[in-house]
Amino acid sequence: MGKVFTLAGKDLRVLFRDKGTMFWVLGFPLLIALFFGFIFSGGSGPSKMKIAIIDKDESAYSQAYAKELGDLSALESYQLPADSALDRVRRGKLSAVITIREGFGRTHGMFTDSAMIEVGVDPSKTMTAGYLQGLLTQTHFKLLQKQYADPDKWRADMDTLMADSGLWAGAPANVQTLGKSIITDLRELSYEYLPEAESIANDSTGAAAKQNDGFNLFPIKMTAVTNDETGPRSSFEITFPSSILWALIGIASSFAVSIVKERTAGTFLRLRLAPISRMHILAGKGLACFISCFTVSVLLMLFGAFVFKVRIGDPVLLAIAMACTAFCFVGIAMLVSTIGKTEESVGGAAWGILLVCAMTGGGMLPLMFMPGWLVAISNFSPVKWGILAIEGAVWRGFTYTDMLIPVGMLIGIGILTFSLGVSILSKRDA
Amino acid sequence: MITVENLKKTFGHICAVDNISFTIKKGEVFGLLGPNGAGKTTTINMIVGILKPDGGSVEIDGNPDPTKSSVRQKIGNAPQALALYGELTARENLEFFGKLYGLSGAKLKERVDWALEFGRLTERQKDKVATYSGGMKRRLNMAGAVIHDPPVILFDEPTVGVDPQSRNMIFDSIEDLKKQGRTIVYTTHYMEEAERLCDRIAIIDNGKILDNGSVRELTKRHGGPAIIEAEFESIPEDFSGLPGKVDDNWVRIETNRPMEDLARLTKNGHTFRQLKINQPNLEMVFLNLTGRSLRD
Repeated sequence: MGKVFTLAGKDLRVLFRDKGTMFWVLGFPLLIALFFGFIFSGGSGPSKMKIAIIDKDESAYSQAYAKELGDLSALESYQLPADSALDRVRRGKLSAVITIREGFGRTHGMFTDSAMIEVGVDPSKTMTAGYLQGLLTQTHFKLLQKQYADPDKWRADMDTLMADSGLWAGAPANVQTLGKSIITDLRELSYEYLPEAESIANDSTGAAAKQNDGFNLFPIKMTAVTNDETGPRSSFEITFPSSILWALIGIASSFAVSIVKERTAGTFLRLRLAPISRMHILAGKGLACFISCFTVSVLLMLFGAFVFKVRIGDPVLLAIAMACTAFCFVGIAMLVSTIGKTEESVGGAAWGILLVCAMTGGGMLPLMFMPGWLVAISNFSPVKWGILAIEGAVWRGFTYTDMLIPVGMLIGIGILTFSLGVSILSKRDA
Repeated sequence: MITVENLKKTFGHICAVDNISFTIKKGEVFGLLGPNGAGKTTTINMIVGILKPDGGSVEIDGNPDPTKSSVRQKIGNAPQALALYGELTARENLEFFGKLYGLSGAKLKERVDWALEFGRLTERQKDKVATYSGGMKRRLNMAGAVIHDPPVILFDEPTVGVDPQSRNMIFDSIEDLKKQGRTIVYTTHYMEEAERLCDRIAIIDNGKILDNGSVRELTKRHGGPAIIEAEFESIPEDFSGLPGKVDDNWVRIETNRPMEDLARLTKNGHTFRQLKINQPNLEMVFLNLTGRSLRD
């Protein structure tokens, strides 16, 4: 066993002294984790929906509405001419154009036969349309709430509305009756929900003043429920497991090339002349590859944990996942080394094969964004099982039983590829 | 110490080694002299057990299996290719090779220091091998073969691509080993090296050993006569009694007794403008055995 450690020690020393290799093994995966991590996180926070607001009414109320809408954290609004705004929506530069029509301020957008707010949006973007509709309604009520904090103004406006003959022009009789009934009811509600100025002055507890913030027609209580186990907390919890797999791809390629290099440089001949068996030599290579894979995985994970708060989850489970992934890539390195007889051919083939594994296994694009048929193909990629195992420990909340499948697949692929590689290498030397 | 009998190896339809046999005594420096592609390296690889022979046998110190650990421990091999790790220093390379042969601790340090001195590399021991010259790499390659103090050492073309200074260092190192009583197998296609270093030489060509023996024995058997070529100061009036062929004022004499014939010429009062004596050498031996020059 001592000679296996001697062989492994030599390989590790050679690997870590080669700056070019170290870049692909540690630098490149780290860059990938950081680059995609920042891209997916949007850098300075979540991305906003870009909209244009066209105010054709230009009343105090419509301007207040446009301002309220623009202040929403979910939206990034622009004041643009109608043509320009529509053109930008067509070209995909904006998600939607909101047009506030004339008369909005007079009616407060309510009880009219035609819509006072018009939303121009691509019909295929149903989610965007629905989301916007919710935001517009929310803004409406929010503005009303602010507007009618004063009960006297509330009643005066209701009276104006009731007296506005133009408001009901053309509307069917039943709509007119219903509208007038609602306005009357809303006027009466002010007595019930909005405190009078005198009661605020006489109330030493401040409860009346608090009530004077306005009424909430459709109160919704938001309760914070932190989801501890499912789903990544940040994009880095996705990119760091992926970057580990990129590192392992780099290490497997380097070791595959190093096995061939031993032959072409003649050092393999000297090793075979020493009083050690072929299995010693291969075990030494395998051990060095495993130690490299595991060490680099730990380093990347620790970097992610300390700098980007990537969760470690269950450390034992994570160690098992990383060890099994490392073992799998030792086997792959061994098999890939048999593909060619020169460093160039093995190096090229290694990156070619492993890139396909990374593409199909979710190393480039997360599996959740892939079509069904590609997800089915990904079952053959060791990258998929490696990412799944590590993510399982980090944020998927895997139990030891859940971990059995990815870990079993990794060990299976590892044993198969290692056996095949050793068998081919042995036949070649015979 | 080493007995090779009817050793044979073919690669496809090419017969690389064809029924060769020889014996090397303990403490002897045995040379395999032949052109590139003659079968020298294949023979070496079969002796050390890297290549399995198609026929014949090899015995090292009475043991018929060179792949056994105990036998490998007795063999040191400096392959023709520079079997070194460029990213490691000379000391690290030697430490690694030493550990593979079971050396450790103070013994390892002692042997590494000795091997560095053997390769005249002590001053550059902490530099990466990738920064070494071709000659330094060759010397380190040889040092790696002797790190474990083996009684049998095989040097496969150790002077290929080295400068004259390194070549002389290599010769000195091998002569040191010879004085220590090591058994050495030395392959080369340079007859001067074989003549200087080897006690006995096997002439190998196309996978066959054409003959083997000491330089004296080989030249005696195959070197042919010595050749005296002389240019007279003046053309002799009487050619009778002159040995060899006379052409104008030149005489060419093929003889097994060059000094006696030279004495006869001077005794007759002839004086020479130029005089050249070519003693038979390994080049002549190879030429006479194969019909072509060693460097063809």
